[in-house]
Amino acid sequence: MTGGYTGKILRVNLTTKAISTIDTAKYEEFGGGHGIGSAVFFDLVGDQLPFEAFDPRNLIIMMASPFSGTFMPGSGRCEVQGLGPMLYPIEWFGHSNFGGRFTAQLKFAGWDGIVVEGASSEPVWINIVNDKVTIESAKGIWGMDTWDTQEEISRRVIPSLRYGEWAELAENCHTTQTPAVVCCGPAGENKSRLGCLLHGPGSQAALCGFGGVFGSKKLKAISAIGSKDVPIADPKAFMDARLWFRQFQWNVDNPREAERFGKGGPYALISGRPSGGNVLNREIPLTPARAAACASCPRGCRMRLATGDSNDSVCAGTMVINVNGSTKFTRQGNDLMQKYGLGHWQLMPLMSYVQTLYKEGVLGKGKQIDTDLPLDQAGTFAYAEALMRQISLRQGIGNDLAEGCARFAEKIGRYQKDVSSGTLPLVYYGTANHYDPVVEAEWGYSSLLGERDLMLHMMSNYPIHWMAWSGDPYLTAEETAKLYTDAMEPYQGDVFMVDHSDGPTGIYSDSKVKQVAWIKHYEKFWIGAGGFCGWRWPMCITNNTADRRGPTPKAEPRFWNAVTGKNLTFADYMEIGHKIYTLDRSIWVLQGRHRDMEKYPDFVYDRPTRGSDMTMYVDGKWKFDTGQGRKLDRAKVEDFKTRFYKFEGYNAENGYPTRETLEKMNLKKVADLLKSKNKLG
Amino acid sequence: MPEDKEAENKEAAVKKRLSRRDFLVTGGAVVAVDALIATTPAKAVAAPPLPAAAGATYPESKGYLLYDSKKCASCTTCMLSCSLVHYGVQSLSRSRIQIMQDAWGKFPYDVRMAPCRQCVTPVCVQNCPVGAAYVDTANGNVRRIDSQKCIGCQTCLKMCPQQPHRPVWVVIDGVGKSSKCDLCIDTPFWNEKGGPGGKQACVESCPMMAIKFVAQTPDQKETEGYDVNLRNDHWLNLGLVDNSTVVPKMDLAWKVGGGEQQ
Repeated sequence: MTGGYTGKILRVNLTTKAISTIDTAKYEEFGGGHGIGSAVFFDLVGDQLPFEAFDPRNLIIMMASPFSGTFMPGSGRCEVQGLGPMLYPIEWFGHSNFGGRFTAQLKFAGWDGIVVEGASSEPVWINIVNDKVTIESAKGIWGMDTWDTQEEISRRVIPSLRYGEWAELAENCHTTQTPAVVCCGPAGENKSRLGCLLHGPGSQAALCGFGGVFGSKKLKAISAIGSKDVPIADPKAFMDARLWFRQFQWNVDNPREAERFGKGGPYALISGRPSGGNVLNREIPLTPARAAACASCPRGCRMRLATGDSNDSVCAGTMVINVNGSTKFTRQGNDLMQKYGLGHWQLMPLMSYVQTLYKEGVLGKGKQIDTDLPLDQAGTFAYAEALMRQISLRQGIGNDLAEGCARFAEKIGRYQKDVSSGTLPLVYYGTANHYDPVVEAEWGYSSLLGERDLMLHMMSNYPIHWMAWSGDPYLTAEETAKLYTDAMEPYQGDVFMVDHSDGPTGIYSDSKVKQVAWIKHYEKFWIGAGGFCGWRWPMCITNNTADRRGPTPKAEPRFWNAVTGKNLTFADYMEIGHKIYTLDRSIWVLQGRHRDMEKYPDFVYDRPTRGSDMTMYVDGKWKFDTGQGRKLDRAKVEDFKTRFYKFEGYNAENGYPTRETLEKMNLKKVADLLKSKNKLG
Repeated sequence: MPEDKEAENKEAAVKKRLSRRDFLVTGGAVVAVDALIATTPAKAVAAPPLPAAAGATYPESKGYLLYDSKKCASCTTCMLSCSLVHYGVQSLSRSRIQIMQDAWGKFPYDVRMAPCRQCVTPVCVQNCPVGAAYVDTANGNVRRIDSQKCIGCQTCLKMCPQQPHRPVWVVIDGVGKSSKCDLCIDTPFWNEKGGPGGKQACVESCPMMAIKFVAQTPDQKETEGYDVNLRNDHWLNLGLVDNSTVVPKMDLAWKVGGGEQQ
């Protein structure tokens, strides 16, 4: 291992309080991040599946990548894995990730990742200062919100800590940085399935409910700070690559881009305009603010405001709570969500569902579902506060709501009816509908063939949908299809991968099979193993360059090889992504996954879509169109799945990976375990 | 971080600067350095101390780094570029420019940028007991530290009037040494020529273009001469202002809507 890795993964058993290490080299073939996390999960508990997410056997795996702690653009994410209590009907082996600087500090402390197993009998937190790792009592911290927790832990880690000064962590170990802390809030402590992990004021791992898993382990937080080096195999090549990459960045001093942005928001997402992620500072007068970035990100999609509220929160982190008529209280309401540690992507549909039931007259004071929530005050801070408090502390109806959307609906006997009709639009294993699976079919398929909502906007969503939706696309539909698919190695050249029509080359075609495979492989290797941000990668097209080509697929292997010293191609790494996806799929199979479960709820098939601007090939011509009124065909979706399973090397009858595929990937032990459970494809 | 803590830190910083400056002006530097050397380990004082050069004048550097702490996004790319080109590794602790952030802080106090100022009166050079800190007259009078000569007494760290101190404590071959910004004169891990007239890794890599090299000597008072406005007219198109009375001309009032976009 020449570069990028520190060489060891931290293993902490909260039951026995044993602290040990795992050699990273043993798992290097999986790249890093998600890949290593899946392999470690399989090795440690794969043969014990199935069991529940709150079982002490469940693991919390937080992996960095070879890029973490380096200036690789947009690689500051931390991948969290384990059984996800939010997911439904089975608590799938899931993943969620968060930005900020946690993995950077973890690497500077000398660790490639953390594996937490078992459960403590008393509240604890894990303190990592370089090589020194201790399990500390969380007395006085348990019960705190996520912000106070991080501040208090920082004080305990470095008692002499002063912002803007050097601190000495140990002899010859100096830093000006503060500890990077990730923690659960009161929601997680109370094993809410909405419980997120929070780092900093607004960096959430929102999906899967890992805050609840922290709570089930009586684990309040993990803190990391270090002063070590991250080795780089070829420093000169890495520096050259970083400076070469500047051409793809949004140029803050470039008037062309400023003019372009003047036409509207979509271009912020496509081009990577700094600060655009916080939607709560767009009204004039603007609150003074800066663009703020995760570690090493050239975009800086966040803001920090002169008011200090909504700092570092983006997208759904600034959109769940809306207090009518008050930006100030809207910001503070969303901040309260962060403090309670509630996952925004589950809270959003849950709040909407509660209001639906209230309006139906089913839920309310003295109603069938009795609650003292001030439901008539929706849109006020008081309502949002009461709702979030009850969920987080499991008070009143909050005790049921804390079980998450799907299980709450099941408890009141309405799951089948409301999910089928779309009243409660849970499309992907208990996670909410996002982009239109009828038109942006690759988003839907990739989610359905995964374990939760895809949440990867820089696949064709931002670059194509948002560009088309802006009404001012910088490429024609034909140019878009050509340039976009040129970047999709090893399937480049098949322009129909981005045909979103329902014609012969469209959303049911073999070309679409390839696009979905490409997305899953990219998701597993570059996003997952590389720690990439889904708001920055991949970049197949961009309006930041004259020829509109993005850095994908040249940049990824150029950076990876410079850091690690390897000499593989983009396609080689995508095949590792295929391997990781196959391993994940094997774990899901061990949990009970079958192709029959990979279906949308009825409303997705039966309700004519409102449409979504995308590239479509119709009557021999490319055009941007919405597909409005289209319905999804069940039989064709099933046929698509059959061809997808075959393409990936899985048994089309059940979706299980085959021995041949697994052994070709050096996953014989996985095949053997599946065989022993009678689940080999 | 509470505002009162911010104010407290500022006050402490001012006091620190004043006390050290006063100390030097009164000729206390010689006494201070002698006292410091007397308390350092025997190995560290093997080289005979040279008389401190309090009151000496030095030719001004032909290069400086200006920065815009309101433009910085605190991504730390500059820090990692610095450690990479000088040491071939990624390290925040080795970086000769330090970026500090309080993510809960209120703009603009949430970020502090701390590159070396290449001081007209280089206190680190004045007070180094062995001449390891020096003015490189062959390379634009840049204030540098020769790690080979450094005896690890940390005088430069302690005498630097800036907060945090700009000389950086690094471990080289297992031994603690001082280092500092050389404007990229000595960058064995970069294919570019650095120093005055050349390129600087932090300047080149900063995605916000919040660091700038200049040849003119900045005003030496406090931070105003160095922490400057590097935002041009187009910056307003980001929707970022440092004063809420400023109104961008562009239309920012677009709304997400239609379809199922969140």
